[in-house]
Amino acid sequence: MSAAPSPACAHCGLPVGRLGRQRELQGDTRWFCCYGCCLAFQVHHGADEEPQAAAALIRLGVGAFLAMFIMLFSLLDYAGGLTGEDAWLRAPVHALQWALATPLLAVLGAPFFAGAWQALCRGRLATDALVSVGVLAAYAYSAWQVLHGGAHVYFDTASMVLGLFTLGRYLEAQGRVRAARSLAPMLAAERAEVRVVDGATQALRPVQSVRPGELLRVLPGERVAVDGVVVDGRSACDESILSGQSHPQPKVAGALVHAGSLNGHGVLLVRATVAGTQTRWARISVQVRDALAAKSMAGETVERVVAVFIPFVLLLAAASAWTRGLRGSGDDALLAGLAVLVVACPCSLGLAAPLAHALAIAQAAQRGILVRGGGVLERLARLRGVAFDKTGTLTAAALQPEHLAADGATHEEVLRIAGALARGSDHPASRAIAALAGAAAAAPSVDEFESRPGQGLIGRIAGTPRALGSAAFMQSLGWEPPPSLLAAAPAQSTLVCVGWGGRVHGVVALVAAAVPEAPAVVAALHRRGLQTLLLSGDAAANVEPMARELGLGGWQADLLPEDKVAALQRWAARRGAVAMVGDGLNDGPVLAAATVGVAVGGATDLARESADVTLPPGRLDALPWLLGQADAARRSVHANIAWAFGYNAVALTLAASGLLQPVIAAALMAGSSVVVAARSWRAGRRATSADRGAAACVAPPIARSA
Amino acid sequence: MTEHLLIFLAGLAGSMHCIGMCGGFACALGADPRGRTATLRRHLIYNVGRVTSYCFLGAVVGHLGVLLIGHDGEGSAGSAAQRALAVVSGLLMIAIGARFFGGAGTRRDPLRVVGAEPLARALRSLLRAPGAGAPLAFGVLNGFLPCPLVYAFAAQAAAGGSALAGLQVMAAFGLGTFAAMLAIGGAGLWWRARVAAPRQQPVQASFLPAPRAAAAGLDWRVHGVRLAGGCIVLLGLITVARGVVPMSAHWH
Repeated sequence: MSAAPSPACAHCGLPVGRLGRQRELQGDTRWFCCYGCCLAFQVHHGADEEPQAAAALIRLGVGAFLAMFIMLFSLLDYAGGLTGEDAWLRAPVHALQWALATPLLAVLGAPFFAGAWQALCRGRLATDALVSVGVLAAYAYSAWQVLHGGAHVYFDTASMVLGLFTLGRYLEAQGRVRAARSLAPMLAAERAEVRVVDGATQALRPVQSVRPGELLRVLPGERVAVDGVVVDGRSACDESILSGQSHPQPKVAGALVHAGSLNGHGVLLVRATVAGTQTRWARISVQVRDALAAKSMAGETVERVVAVFIPFVLLLAAASAWTRGLRGSGDDALLAGLAVLVVACPCSLGLAAPLAHALAIAQAAQRGILVRGGGVLERLARLRGVAFDKTGTLTAAALQPEHLAADGATHEEVLRIAGALARGSDHPASRAIAALAGAAAAAPSVDEFESRPGQGLIGRIAGTPRALGSAAFMQSLGWEPPPSLLAAAPAQSTLVCVGWGGRVHGVVALVAAAVPEAPAVVAALHRRGLQTLLLSGDAAANVEPMARELGLGGWQADLLPEDKVAALQRWAARRGAVAMVGDGLNDGPVLAAATVGVAVGGATDLARESADVTLPPGRLDALPWLLGQADAARRSVHANIAWAFGYNAVALTLAASGLLQPVIAAALMAGSSVVVAARSWRAGRRATSADRGAAACVAPPIARSA
Repeated sequence: MTEHLLIFLAGLAGSMHCIGMCGGFACALGADPRGRTATLRRHLIYNVGRVTSYCFLGAVVGHLGVLLIGHDGEGSAGSAAQRALAVVSGLLMIAIGARFFGGAGTRRDPLRVVGAEPLARALRSLLRAPGAGAPLAFGVLNGFLPCPLVYAFAAQAAAGGSALAGLQVMAAFGLGTFAAMLAIGGAGLWWRARVAAPRQQPVQASFLPAPRAAAAGLDWRVHGVRLAGGCIVLLGLITVARGVVPMSAHWH
C-alpha cells in the first residue's frame, strides 16, 4: 500500500497513477488520469459557464474547422480535381493546407506533445510519443514536399490522426466514467460537504472539519456524511454501502445514523458522535481508493510489456519505413511508418485490467464487502481451498445458554451469583450468562473481582469468595465439580461452573450454533471445486461434530494461534492458494499468512488490518458471490488482454507490410479502446443485473439445505 | 442547377424547422457588447462554421458513396449499385420529408435519441465566451448535431456520385439556411440593438425562441416546415427516379 495515495481523477474517479496530469481549472487544482478525462471534464463542466472550460470546446471546434478544410482540399485532390488544366492549382492548395495544418497541430496536437514530453522527462516512452512522432513526421515530410514542389502532401493524414485520437481519448474517458460511476459513493467521503447548524445560522463546511457534538442538517436525498444520532426529524436511510442491505432503515429522533447512508424523503437534524474523519465511511473510502491504486499482477505485467512494446514499435516503424523506402518511394515509406506508429498505440492494453477490477471492487463495496485491490481479486480467482475459523465465523458470535443445573443451591441463587461475576467480563460466555441472569434478579455487588484469562472469574460476594469458570479452573481452586452435574449437561456444549464455599454449586451449558447460512456456503464452495478445512482453537469434541454437520473436508482442533499458521501453511503447501476466513483477535496472524485473508464482519480491528477481504457482519454468504465476481473479473481481464494483443498483432503486421492507410489505422485504434471500455462496462452491467436476480435467490438455497 | 435551386429553397424553407432548435442556439449566441458590427460578425462566423460542417459532411458522404460503389461506366455492376443507392437515398428522403407534414406529435427529441444532449448542454458554455473562436467552434459543433434535415440532404449527397457533388448538395442546403439563421440570430439582435440603444444585458441563453415570437410566428413556421417537407419529398422523388430510369441521370 502506498503511503501517499494517488489522487483520484476528477473525471472518472479512478486513481491517476504515475502519469497523472494536474490542471488548474475553475480555481481548483484538479488531477486527471489522462488527456481524455481532462478533455471530457472540461466539456461536461462547460455548463458552469467558465471561460477555461469553454477553452477545450473552442479548441475542438476550431481544430475541427481547420481539419475539415484540409480534408475538403484533399478530397478535391483525390477526386482528380488538381490535374490537367487545373494542375497549376496544386501548389497553392498545398500551401494553403500547410497554412491550415500549422495552427491545427498547435491546437489539437499540443496535449499529445506535452504528454509525450512529460513522460520523456521521467524517462518513459508514453503512447503519446507514438502519436507525436507519427504526426510530426507526416507534417514535416509534407512541409518539405511543399517547399520542393512535390506531388504528395499528408497534412490530411496528420490532421485526421490527431482528430481521431482526440475523439478516441474522449470516448475512452466516457467509457471509463461510466464504468466507475458505481464507485462514486464509496469515494465521495473525502469530498463531502455538510450543513453545520449553529443556532439560527447554517454553514456549508467540508466533512473533515466536523467535530463530535456539532449539529448537522441532512436534506432529503443527500448522503449522510457523519456518524451521529438523530435529534429531530423523521426519515428512512438506505445503508446499503455500509451493510449491503438495501432496505431503507427508519430513522426517528434518537436513532443512530451512519455516514455513507443515503437519506430518504425527510429532513434530519443529526448530532455528530465522532469526528468527520473517523467515520466508517471515511475509512471505507480510503480503503477503496487504496484498493484501486494497488497494482494488480495483470496490471503490472501489462505495464512492463508496454514499456518494452513502445521502443519496439518505434524501431518497427523505422524498419518498415526503411524497407519500403528502399523498394518504393518516400511516400510509401512515410505511410508505412506512420501506420505502424498509429495502429500500435497500446491504449486498450492499459485499460484492460484496471477497468474490470475497478468494477468488481465497486460492486463488492456496494454490498459492504471491502476488497484490497485488484491483486486480491486475481488471487481469489485461483484459490484451491478455503479454511475456516470456528468461533464467530462458522458459529454465531453470541453463545446460547442451553442448560442450567444446580446442586446444593437453588437455580435462582446460582444464576444470581453467576450473573454478578459475569458482568465484569466481556468474554462471549460471560456476556451470554449476564444476559441470561439479567432478567432474573437484582445483582449483588462484587468485591476483589479478578479475571483470569482463559480460565474464569473470581470475586467476593457478601464476604464469601465465589468463582465462575471452566471445570479445570474449579479443580485448580480445589473445588471438585460433582460428576452428576457435568453428566446432565448436553454434549458439544461449553460448560461454565459456578462455585463458592469450597464446592461447585451449579453448571451453565452454552452452545455455539452454526450460522444459518454456513452449510449453504460450504456446499457452494465445494461446487466451485474448492476444498474446505476447519482450524479451531476449540476442543476436538466441539470441532468434530461441527465439521461433520457442515460437511467440511477436514478439521483440526486445539490449535494455538501459531499452530493455526503452521497448519494453514502445511495445507497450502499441499493444495496451493488457500484462503483463511476468520474473526477474533487470534486470527490476525493466520489471516496474514493465507493467500487471501477474509475477515467476517464484527471482526476485530487487528483481524481487519491483516485481512485482504472484509465481509459485512453476518454475511458469510457473500463469500461464494465474491468468488464468482473474482472469476468474472479474471475472465474479463483475460478476454480484454487477448483482444488488445491480438488486435495489435494483426494490425501491426498489416501496417508494417504497408497494407494499412494511417487514417484507417487511427480509426481502428480509437475503435479498439472504445471496444475494451465498452466490454468492461457491459460485463459490469451484466454482473449487476445477474446479481439483482441472484439477490432474490440467496434465501432459497439456504432454506433448502437447512 | 435546378436541383440545387430546389435544395436551396428546401434549406430556406427548412430554416423554419431550424428555428426550433438551431434558431434557439442562434438567438442564444446573443449580442456582442462591442456593437452591431461585432454582433453581425459573431453571427456570420457562427454560420460559416455551421455551413462548413455541412459541406464537409456532404463531401465525405459523397466520397464514401463513390468508394462504396465505384464509378464505372453505365451498365456495369457499379452503375447498378449506384442506382440502387440513389433509390435508397430517395426513399429515405421521402420518409424524412413526409415526417415534416404530420406526426409531429409523435416525434421524439433527436438530441435525446442519439445521446447528444450532454454535448448540446456543453455547447452552452461557448455562448458567452469572448473572441472569434467561440462562435466558430459553436457553429462547427452545431453542424454535427443530429437533425432530420441534415440527414435528408446527407442521403442525397451520398447518391451524388462524387465528393464534389455531395459537397454541392450540402453547400446549397447550408446556404439556404444561412440567410434565415443569420436573420433569426444576428439581424434580429442587430435590429433590437438599434431600437433599444446599447443593450449590455446578455440575451437569455435559451434553447427555445422567446414565447411571444413563437406565438406570432407559429403559423408561418408550420407553413415553412411543410414547404421544406414538400421540397425534400420532391427531391427524394427525383433521386429515386434517377435510380430507376437511367436516362434521368442527365436530368439536370
